[in-house]
Amino acid sequence: MHGSLETIAVEVDLCAPGWERIIDPSPPVDIIARDIIFGEGPTWDARNEQLWFVDIIGDTIWKWKPDTGQEIVLRPSVKGNGTCLDLQNRLVVAGWGGRTVYRMEKDGSWTTLADKWQGRKLNSPNDIVVKSDGSIWFTDPPGGMYNVGMVGPDIQRYIETQPVFRISPDGKDMTAAAEDNTYPNGLCFSPDEKILYVNDSRERVIRAYDVKPDGTLSKSRLFFKYEGPERGVPDGMKCDTAGNVWCTGPGGIWVHDPSGKTIVRIKTEGHHPTNFAFGDDDWKSLYITNIGSVVRTRVNIAGVPSR
Amino acid sequence: MTWNFERVAGPCKGRTGGLAWDGKTMLFSAVAEERILRYDPSSGETSVFRRWTGRMNGIAIAKDGTVFGAQEGGRRVIHFLADGSTEPTEELLDGAHHNQPVDLTIDSKGRVWIADAYNMQPPYGPPAYPFLPHASVLRMDSYGPKLWRLSRVTHDTAGPRAVLLSPDEKALYVADGDVERGDVCQLFAYPLDEHGVAGHRKTLLNFSANERGIEGMCLASDGNIIACMGWNRSGCAPSIVVVTPGGTIVETHPAPADVPMRCAFGDADLGSLYVTAGDGALYRAKGIGRKGLKRS
Repeated sequence: MHGSLETIAVEVDLCAPGWERIIDPSPPVDIIARDIIFGEGPTWDARNEQLWFVDIIGDTIWKWKPDTGQEIVLRPSVKGNGTCLDLQNRLVVAGWGGRTVYRMEKDGSWTTLADKWQGRKLNSPNDIVVKSDGSIWFTDPPGGMYNVGMVGPDIQRYIETQPVFRISPDGKDMTAAAEDNTYPNGLCFSPDEKILYVNDSRERVIRAYDVKPDGTLSKSRLFFKYEGPERGVPDGMKCDTAGNVWCTGPGGIWVHDPSGKTIVRIKTEGHHPTNFAFGDDDWKSLYITNIGSVVRTRVNIAGVPSR
Repeated sequence: MTWNFERVAGPCKGRTGGLAWDGKTMLFSAVAEERILRYDPSSGETSVFRRWTGRMNGIAIAKDGTVFGAQEGGRRVIHFLADGSTEPTEELLDGAHHNQPVDLTIDSKGRVWIADAYNMQPPYGPPAYPFLPHASVLRMDSYGPKLWRLSRVTHDTAGPRAVLLSPDEKALYVADGDVERGDVCQLFAYPLDEHGVAGHRKTLLNFSANERGIEGMCLASDGNIIACMGWNRSGCAPSIVVVTPGGTIVETHPAPADVPMRCAFGDADLGSLYVTAGDGALYRAKGIGRKGLKRS
């Protein structure tokens, strides 16, 4: 079912010239969290020097600190999935199974930010990111209606499309920013926030959109299409500070330059990455969530800080 | 007596699957379209009952009128509620995810009997859970609102495709084996005790290696089994047969289309037989000389 923790390794292949700027050939691997079923939603919280992550099937939000290890934050969690931090460093969660987006307040209470669109229940919010203007962007594919072991109490779908939603900075308005994906999953902004990347697990592609100042998107275009027999689909996705796009795909985590060319693939033998986050003081640690564990490796380029 | 089938709905994309008469209309699964459709014989119209069903196949209607479905794609039995929402039911058998339900039936005590097969088409979602080492009939008992417990009923099946209870619910008929997976197909009868525990089976029908066995069954008022079987590819032809509780085929009729899938009685007095098939249509034959069993 999961990769054996003893066989976890990180290697590289599909190397283009200059790939060494991304990662060393045999980077270290530490297992930082065990005893989880389906890891997802990693976010490095620099202010508190901790990693947030979730176990979707285990229905738990976790945090992990280098000195004290892992600790339960919320269980049940309506099968929370992607996480991010807002401008006030509050955790915002894509509530996959409960079909909501919710936020953890400073006092530990939870506020629902979105649960309906045009009067109908959302699909299953999957991954989420906050832009520097405070707007919240999340993908809403339908997998939480049927995926094995990963559904909530109501599995009836109600809305026609699989949007990327944007919640306005004041939280009052939610719009469908893109509706041309079959199964939108991971999403991230380029470092200058002029491009939004959205991947599609079903079509096995990454799309890019221009982000207009008013918060709408334009010029949807194919950025990369994944091929290959290995296990793994586009899921977690982040940008580094050079604008390279990192995305889970067949066989591991692929790194593409801003033109879409593949620089290197970080192969993850023995485990099945679902998502990852850059972290630590230099943003050069890569925390990878798996089916079964969370591991950490080191890379040579800093990720875009999560806040 | 010739059974004259007419196409009353479809064709849909892919095969049509489970079907159930709700007293006024026939619900049937367009499996690949991920929809349950509703054929109304009074108007001849077909409408949509539910969309986005996750490749649901078998359908059964509970006493309260709510609908249960065998969701192949999500590896669970799902419950369509009257308010338009849909609940999952218990997905774990002794702590492990079961296989891909394809058919189900509900007894007078509200227990749900499930044909938990291996399927050719993989399920939805990340491959986090292996299939069970066995493909069996499961029974799901309610022990409170939204609370279900699954238990294993058969221990000697290769991959059950259809389940049916005798009129007195003391026998469980199981159509076992999927020729597309290379199984040898058979029809079994298991005696059931009052707790729903199966005894030693009796083999009612044996198919040869290249024959497509029974995919769907329903019960006639005289206690005989009406079953869909066969295909044009090999072995016995696409047929609708009448099988006695002892395992004798007493009637064989050409199916209305290749790969006949499932069947159910409907219309006034349960006087018509409806059949789904590989061509994605819903067929009906009136006046076949038999009626469906009315369960209390």
